[in-house]
Amino acid sequence: MKTTLEVKNLHAGIGATKILNGLDLVVNAGEVHAIMGPNGSGKSTLAQVIAGHADYEVLDGSVRFNGEDLLELEPEERAREGVFLGFQYPVEIPGVNNAYLLKAAVNAKRRHLGLDEIDAFEFLKLAREKMATLGMDPIFLNRGVNEGFSGGEKKRNEILQMAMLEPRLAILDETDSGLDIDALKTVAAGINELRDPTRAIVLVTHYQRLLDYVEPDFVHVLSAGKIVRSGDKSLALELEKNGYEWVKEAVNA
Amino acid sequence: MTSTVINQDLFTAAVEGLPPGQLSSHRSDAAKLFSVTGFPTARDEDWKYTRLDGAADLSNDWLASLAQHSTSTEASVMLTDAQLAPTQSINADWIIVHNGIVDAAALGQLKLPTGVNVSLIGEDSEHLALTTDSPMSAFNAALLTDGLRVRVANNVAVKKPLGFLMVDDDRSRVTQIRVVLELGDNAALRVVECALSSGVGPTFTNSVTQLQLAEGSKLDFLRLQNHALDHISTNRFVANIDKDATFTHNNFDFGGDLTRNDIVAIIEGAGASVNLAGLYLASGAQHIDNHTRVEHRVGPAVSHEEYRGILNGKSRCVFNGQAVVFEGADGTDANQANHNLLLSDQAEIDTKPELEIYADDVKCSHGATVGQLDETALFYLRSRGLDTTEARRLLTQAFAANILNLLAIDEAREYVKLQLDERVASLLGDERT
Repeated sequence: MKTTLEVKNLHAGIGATKILNGLDLVVNAGEVHAIMGPNGSGKSTLAQVIAGHADYEVLDGSVRFNGEDLLELEPEERAREGVFLGFQYPVEIPGVNNAYLLKAAVNAKRRHLGLDEIDAFEFLKLAREKMATLGMDPIFLNRGVNEGFSGGEKKRNEILQMAMLEPRLAILDETDSGLDIDALKTVAAGINELRDPTRAIVLVTHYQRLLDYVEPDFVHVLSAGKIVRSGDKSLALELEKNGYEWVKEAVNA
Repeated sequence: MTSTVINQDLFTAAVEGLPPGQLSSHRSDAAKLFSVTGFPTARDEDWKYTRLDGAADLSNDWLASLAQHSTSTEASVMLTDAQLAPTQSINADWIIVHNGIVDAAALGQLKLPTGVNVSLIGEDSEHLALTTDSPMSAFNAALLTDGLRVRVANNVAVKKPLGFLMVDDDRSRVTQIRVVLELGDNAALRVVECALSSGVGPTFTNSVTQLQLAEGSKLDFLRLQNHALDHISTNRFVANIDKDATFTHNNFDFGGDLTRNDIVAIIEGAGASVNLAGLYLASGAQHIDNHTRVEHRVGPAVSHEEYRGILNGKSRCVFNGQAVVFEGADGTDANQANHNLLLSDQAEIDTKPELEIYADDVKCSHGATVGQLDETALFYLRSRGLDTTEARRLLTQAFAANILNLLAIDEAREYVKLQLDERVASLLGDERT
């Protein structure tokens, strides 16, 4: 099986605060992994480091993507290589058109792969198709990026971007937070749609409920900046029942 | 040696040496006023950040040549295609003013709708009162030889915008141009003014526009200043606004070495409405100073103002927004905002809202911000595959779009947007110099 993401002994922090303390993780193509853990355990930090946020400093360890050193690449290069981060808090950018961003993103990737740019007609057709499956009104294409979107609309917009960009590795940071049950089901269906033998998906989540709809192959528990337990989907149910204290106690014991 | 002192002997000789005509008495009245004040200096509070030394040097040279009668008053050089571009891009009835001289032949051939009259100021001075409310407007009136007078009759709403193309590319001349706009009761007019120069060497333009809006009338005015980087300009717009009239002024400053705009809106009738919007983009060593003043002399009346600036390089900009609510002007609703994007740590903005309120029942607000591009938004765009240059360009354009969206004249939108996008690209390219 082809390894997509290989994180080894990753130490990282922001400013003087160290957050990740020797994290190891291997995600193969075709797999869905869930990373769970209490607040402050380092889940979002891991996602931001993989996407290349400059505020986070890597102190030790390595991150390889399809065998290449990911940490050497700029955020935009990572994106064009096929890394996608679904933001926990998608940014509102009034004045930048949603359709423009989507098209520019798709074309940046296509140029990188040596493909012709997508034409306007083809782009609109594709975007409308994907929006229909996500239950998004095409009017959202004409709005500013996430401008005035509700929490659920923002998350759908992230999934739309993912669907258009067809990444090799998708990291979805708390994509389930702030969603009502209907929105959760739609977003989950959007994620399931993208499950593919060539694609790796990492779900970063605090709660188990997303995993009722997107069934993970592996579940990891992150605590104090490292993975303390790994298992199959039953681990998520155990966590739901016993809470994170149970893991911490198990680790300390 | 630099100085803002205008040589009084040269000034007097120049004024007296101008060809006599209908403007003679206006000129001598204004000359008396200007002789007392001279150019503003750093001692004037309103001119604290903007020095007119360069303008004074150019003016003294020009006054000397006027005094010796060695300046021609004929427009000589043909305009280039680049200079004429706005007239090709914006659908309007264009009038060309080249180095301060109106193209009278072309004006004569212009077919204007019934109820609209455009004449030369020197040939049509009946009941003409030239505004001389400041040293620079007095300097303008004292040396005025040409200008435009536009009258719109009662109840005439002009559909097609009027266009003024102001091109200054003669080094030997300081341009003094005046436009007088008079709108009758319930009249409506839209004007697009494009001010250009050619980079032939330092040049100076001192322009004045005065507006009289009668009851229920409406003017939308767009000024797009795209001077060459060696051009100095002072530009004053004074509007008197009567009952239920609406005045909208959109001000775009993209070019120039030193630019000073004074926009004065005087509300004299209840129910009036004033909308001021401006965008200034400065890089390199550019200096752009916008002073606006809204006088709420009576109420109720409304004024909205938003100015935005984008600064890079070692540029310096000034925003001063005065709102004065006179005693008894109850029901005044005045708001004002100035937002600035500083893209270089060597650029400087001085922003100052000034509210003076002498009435009781008013609603006034103001706000000023200075900031950088949002790093979170930059990262978001880059995480989608856009390179830093494009991400910065998009966010800068988005910042400017707020003002572009306020543009009242649809016919000019595409052209202004094109110019804006070009200017944003050149401005962002300046940051590493």
